[in-house]
Amino acid sequence: MSDLVITNLTKKFGRLTVLDNVSVTASDGQILTLLGPSGCGKSTTLWSIAGLLKPDGGSIVVGDQTLFNHDSSAFLPPERRDCGVVFQSYAVWPHMKVRDNVGYPLRLRRYKPEALRKRVDEVLELVDLSDQADRYPHQLSGGQQQRVALARALAFPPRLLLLDEPFSNLDAKLRERTRDWLLQLQRKIGVTTVFVTHDQDEALAMSDRIAVMSTGTVRQIGTPEQIYNDPADLFVADFVGTSNLLEGTVIGRSNGILTIKIDGLDQAIHVPSSIDSDGVVVAVRPEALALLPDDASTDGYEMTVNGPVLDRSYHGHHFRYRVGVGEQALVVETRERTDSSHVRVGIPRDGYKLFRPRTATAPKAAQ
Amino acid sequence: MSSSTLTDPKAPPPPSRFGNIKRAWLPEKVIHYGVWILAVLLILGPIVPIVWSSLWSTPLYEGGGSGTLDNFRKLATDPLWWSAVANSLQFAVFATIGSVLVGTTVALLVARTDLPLRRLYSALIVLPLVLPGLVLIVGWQSMWSKNGYATHLLEQYTPFTVPFDLYSVAGMVVMGTVLGSPVVYLFARGTLSSGDSTLEEAARCAGAGPFRALLTVTLPLLRPALLNSGLLVFALALETLGIPLILGTSKNIDMMSTYLYRQWTGSADGGGGVLPAGAVMLLLAVTMLLLLRNRLAGDLARFTTTGGKSSRPANVVKLGPFGWLLSAGVGVVLGCATLVPLSGVVLASLTAVLTPAINPFSLLTLDHFSAILTNPLYTGAIGNSLLIATVGAAIATACIAVIALVAHRSSFRLRGSLEHIVLYPRAVPGLITGMAFFWTFAILDQSGTFRATLWAVGIAFGVRALAMGYAAFYPSLAALGADLDRAARSAGADWWTAMRTIILSLLKPAMGISYVLLFVAMLNEADAAVFLVTPETQVLGLAMLQIAANGLGGTVAALGVIQLVITAAVLGAGRILFGVRPNV
Ligand SMILES: Nc1ncnc2c1ncn2[C@@H]1O[C@H](COP(=O)(O)OP(=O)(O)OP(=O)(O)O)[C@@H](O)[C@H]1O
Ligand SMILES: [Mg+2]
Repeated sequence: MSDLVITNLTKKFGRLTVLDNVSVTASDGQILTLLGPSGCGKSTTLWSIAGLLKPDGGSIVVGDQTLFNHDSSAFLPPERRDCGVVFQSYAVWPHMKVRDNVGYPLRLRRYKPEALRKRVDEVLELVDLSDQADRYPHQLSGGQQQRVALARALAFPPRLLLLDEPFSNLDAKLRERTRDWLLQLQRKIGVTTVFVTHDQDEALAMSDRIAVMSTGTVRQIGTPEQIYNDPADLFVADFVGTSNLLEGTVIGRSNGILTIKIDGLDQAIHVPSSIDSDGVVVAVRPEALALLPDDASTDGYEMTVNGPVLDRSYHGHHFRYRVGVGEQALVVETRERTDSSHVRVGIPRDGYKLFRPRTATAPKAAQ
Repeated sequence: MSSSTLTDPKAPPPPSRFGNIKRAWLPEKVIHYGVWILAVLLILGPIVPIVWSSLWSTPLYEGGGSGTLDNFRKLATDPLWWSAVANSLQFAVFATIGSVLVGTTVALLVARTDLPLRRLYSALIVLPLVLPGLVLIVGWQSMWSKNGYATHLLEQYTPFTVPFDLYSVAGMVVMGTVLGSPVVYLFARGTLSSGDSTLEEAARCAGAGPFRALLTVTLPLLRPALLNSGLLVFALALETLGIPLILGTSKNIDMMSTYLYRQWTGSADGGGGVLPAGAVMLLLAVTMLLLLRNRLAGDLARFTTTGGKSSRPANVVKLGPFGWLLSAGVGVVLGCATLVPLSGVVLASLTAVLTPAINPFSLLTLDHFSAILTNPLYTGAIGNSLLIATVGAAIATACIAVIALVAHRSSFRLRGSLEHIVLYPRAVPGLITGMAFFWTFAILDQSGTFRATLWAVGIAFGVRALAMGYAAFYPSLAALGADLDRAARSAGADWWTAMRTIILSLLKPAMGISYVLLFVAMLNEADAAVFLVTPETQVLGLAMLQIAANGLGGTVAALGVIQLVITAAVLGAGRILFGVRPNV
């Protein structure tokens, strides 16, 4: 088994704590995604796994081998970790042909020339680059360079595949294709993979498990569905997917049921929750909201809200409306089309979640 | 762990020698510490004996003696020292002012006006930096001294005359300005062409004319570059030996550097303790200046601005018909400062005597060259210099590359200090580098056998040129993304293998540039040789300096031409092969 187990990983640059007790696990053959806004420490985590950085605390274990352990001062240098790394910048060596780039790890491991050639051809075929083997990197497109980097990472069968935002330099269409292709490839090879991204769509589509990070800490670990449907805190709810965040005040509390008044709404809502602060935030996914005809029944909805349509836009597979609710605005995504300037929005009974408001120190999510 | 989960199903089983990864034959740590210790010993180590002997009552190699401040007291009571200090300061101050004025003016004209022929002038003004300085001084002697050829022509055919005597402090200031202006020019030019001109455009949009924008916005932007290069020129002027030795000897005008030189050559005991004391004073002065400069400019930031990209900025002052007039003026001044003296050297080397009384073309001869090529003293010096330059530049380039890699691409604990160490030779006058190695060898090798080899001279020259080569090399290293070596590390390469196969391979052109510049510097080096050469290890630069100090002659000119030709050939090749540019 080569589960990757990271425990209490800590890294400081000077007085700045970049990783603060990060603990995550990636099961054998699975894809673990580190998701978070820019600067939250994703790359730092990845480089710690690869041995390119020396953390200041914690441990990293793969299978039965310790890569790093602060307490016992164990530190395996990067060249002995057998990690295949694909860098954000690809880092394809410009002075070597594609074939030599891919063969580099093999040459270091003393492959015989025939074996080396055979393996390089094999890996290049795996990434669909067989016909580019004798070209130089500057003669390749961005997407092709990215595949060279991947082939190089896979050439000597790595114990871990580490991908640092591998799609960030590709255009949207290519990005989607490459994503599917990489997912298939990973399934075929079955290598334990850590994947870094700040793109939530990518994370949701590619991962077995996602660890959402912010300012050096892990906010939540779970399957894509858990992360999306049941975010652990406001940061995750806001960062993964879009959420309508409505500020409310607790006006009553009895038997674990809170009565909450949302600014700009007449009705109060009643929610079972253990939150003890006075202010709360109600998070609702835009696609959970429904536009209701005036005569429709409100069964199944916690409440309905009437408001003016502030603006509307068409996104192909859905319409997007912003509906005024007091001072705040509610984004509604629906396939239904309406031209009226006032609408009734239904908030389904289990379509929202309650969170403690952001503390002053919590980061703002990048959208 | 089962390998089937790790590998592509189609992958061959790992070869039998799996795990036996190729390794560099020295562990990373050994390389790092080795490089650091070597750098400290070679660069900082030799300074120790100078400082020590300045505070010691007897020469170090004689044993005995005790700590004393006597040497400094003796120095302080020597009126000659004080007049040398006064001359040095006077010279340095005015040469700096002159360089800043000329360098800035030309930079502004070239970068911010449509002056005709500006590209030519840009090449002309950096010429003194590119060519061996001694040759230019000799050329000025032959043309612009009171008996100079050009001076006579000028006085004979025009109402003008040369307004200064080259063999005076004023004349030396002019010479210093010629040699210092290119430094200021390169810095100012770098700022002007790399700095974005949006501020100037903003001023123009706000209604300022182009000329006004130049004065109110551009000039203030130049202040850091001028301060920085001005301090550098000042320090260089304080330490220069060539100008005062060649131009000051006949009138007994001494500066700090020539004072030390004469202490060494003129007295039986090599100046006794006064010499190291004076050396320490000069070293302190130059070091302080460069420290101040680093504080103001940041150590390496300066190298990135001297590249001289030439994109046309939007704010260009249109000179109109006035431009040609100005261009003619600039051309005359720059031509008189560079081309005329250079042709003077060539002419002097090819004529029996260069005198206004006789048409030089009726006196053409190759005698000076044949005299040089048949005199073993000179051929030996030329051969030695070529050998030192060829081998020394290669070794120094390798050292620079490895030092730069440890300083910037390793996780070595002491890497931060390495860059300061390698840049330190910039703050040590060449004369003192030579003295430092002389004392070091004298202590370590009492028999003097090592000191009598070319290695002794070569090491001193190499250390002296280190900072300059590093400055030329570093920007290319900094431009290579660190992901390139990280990728190699995770692919299985240890530190040195990653450096060798990836970074050094990619940096071959940068090493070429560094090699060419080091070659030229070591070929022409004179100051550092003063204390080190023996009759067997005479070098080209010092040979020239010594003859030139005793008066001008066709021989010096011919030596200068030889120096010039080799330098130009190597730089030309470097430019074609690696795109070598003038570097401060
Ligand atoms: N060498 C360094 N010295 C000081 N601070 C650093 C260094 N490297 C990274 N940091 C800081 O550590 C933090 C995390 O950096 P990291 O590269 O891990 O972010 P990231 O999550 O990968 O961001 P991005 O999505 O932009 O790549 C950042 O705030 C960064 O400024
Ligand atoms: Mg990153």
